[in-house]
Amino acid sequence: MSTRALRSAGYAAPAFVVALGSASFALLSTRSPTRLSLDHAWAAPTAGYPLGSGDAGVDILALAVHATARALGMAAVVASFGFVVGTLLGATAGLRGGAAQRWLLRACDLTQSFPTFLLALAVLSAVSVPSRWHIGAVFCLTVWAPFARISAVQARVIAQAEFVQAARALGATRATVVGRHVVPNLLGPVAIQLGTAAAGIVLGEAALGFVGLGPPDGVSLGALLEQGTLSMLRAPHVLAVGAVTVATVSGSLQLASEGLRYFVSGAR
Amino acid sequence: MSPPKPSGSTRAGAVRAVFGSLGARTVGALAVLLVLVSLVFLALRLLPGDPAALVLGEQAPEIERALLRARLGLDRPLGVQYARFVAGLFTFDLGDSLARPGTSAFSEVWRALGPTAALASVAVVVGALGGITAALLSVGPWLGARREWAHRGIVVVAATPLIAFAPLLTYLLAVKLRWVPLPGDPDSGASGLLFASGLLAIPLGAQVARIGRAALLDQAGAKFLDVARAKGGGALRVWVVHALPAAFSPIAVVIATQLGALLGGAVVLERLFERPGLGTLMLNAYAARDIPVLEASVAAAGGLFVVAQALAALASAVIDPRTRPS
Repeated sequence: MSTRALRSAGYAAPAFVVALGSASFALLSTRSPTRLSLDHAWAAPTAGYPLGSGDAGVDILALAVHATARALGMAAVVASFGFVVGTLLGATAGLRGGAAQRWLLRACDLTQSFPTFLLALAVLSAVSVPSRWHIGAVFCLTVWAPFARISAVQARVIAQAEFVQAARALGATRATVVGRHVVPNLLGPVAIQLGTAAAGIVLGEAALGFVGLGPPDGVSLGALLEQGTLSMLRAPHVLAVGAVTVATVSGSLQLASEGLRYFVSGAR
Repeated sequence: MSPPKPSGSTRAGAVRAVFGSLGARTVGALAVLLVLVSLVFLALRLLPGDPAALVLGEQAPEIERALLRARLGLDRPLGVQYARFVAGLFTFDLGDSLARPGTSAFSEVWRALGPTAALASVAVVVGALGGITAALLSVGPWLGARREWAHRGIVVVAATPLIAFAPLLTYLLAVKLRWVPLPGDPDSGASGLLFASGLLAIPLGAQVARIGRAALLDQAGAKFLDVARAKGGGALRVWVVHALPAAFSPIAVVIATQLGALLGGAVVLERLFERPGLGTLMLNAYAARDIPVLEASVAAAGGLFVVAQALAALASAVIDPRTRPS
């Protein structure tokens, strides 16, 4: 492996460890994030409960790990959705140029700056009990915008590159030019956005859960943080676990994004 | 960097042009806002089940439910309801709060608007000033070789989420060390507001510093800075008086794009501190299905956001002629 690949893998390693670790724990361990044992409510860490217990004696270790796995799962699905939809939209608009591109970029501006909280409140008020799917749908409404913006700009640049003109001169059809030349060269720069988007979704989900717009089973990073703030005085360990978990998950995703950027562009 | 076109070169022409492009952007944002508020409007009416039962509880006698339906206008055709709703948005009259009968929904919103506006505006000022200072320190000569540290600090802070550090800092500073009062305490006054705004300002300041640093570095080799130095200007004068205004426009843009996140952060902090405000009002209205208040508060928060964004665009156009649309 080249040093560039090694180095990029180093950046991405924390995210892989977090993702694989939390997923395998959630699948293999019998610890439940929802089982209550009232005797242990807000108990400090012990050998049996390494991270202590929370509200109504819930196992904080299980809660943190399951919440991480689910947040990462949602982030992966939503970010991939944004990647596919955003790249298609952006590449189409970028190749057409003119008004199509202007309108797309304007829509991106609006979507990226609009308060997600208001969007979530409006969408979730339209369902009687918000589920994880509804919350994911809220993020799908906005996640495509950064992907579309980058691919629109990038598609414009690639379309004017000499190798594309050469392909055209050799008689390649429009579809061949787009499929063989534009899209493959687009994917690298656009993929860099994946980590940033995933980190944003993890944080957004945590924030929504924190203010009470989380999934009803209470297994979310936001619900963990909320437990921590409620019991700040009697059980500060819950707050510490919540804050460290959220910061680790989002930080590892941002690092992975940095690794992708390094791999694609070679620049630090 | 093309010179401004003749239409933008006079002040009146520039202002007209700015308002033209602002107009287009504002119309787009208002359209999204109308869709959102309409979604909230439809939510109660189209969900399965009797909205009156949702508000009053399943046990409520039919006569009370019918009265409530009549009071909310739910017994009229949907089209009529919607027309009255849209008219109500413009006349600031969406009916009375369900949770507090006799109080109009918009008067609840006005009451909540003050604390949130104070929190957000202090945060914008503190974040902008702190971010610009950090950016200047990370490019100017004052810190010497240690300015790289300022840069690293900016990157780390920008990557730390508010939702993780705000509860921790509150625990440390307000609960353990008792250096600051808890901002939810009604007696906490100005220092409570300043602490809450300071927390909210940290992520904004980090973004401002990141973008501001890049913008200042873009100017670092510019000829006009050499001229300022040749005229005998000190480092402070060169960077603050000459370089900073040229970097202001990207800073205004980043503040404008962070406004949505700022509102989300304000909601999180209001929840954290159990502080009254627009976010608390919206969440309570959502939980209690107090539909008039929910509609009014979503409309007000969205409207506030649109206005603040327009102001940021206007400020950047006034200060930096290059951003005036030609």
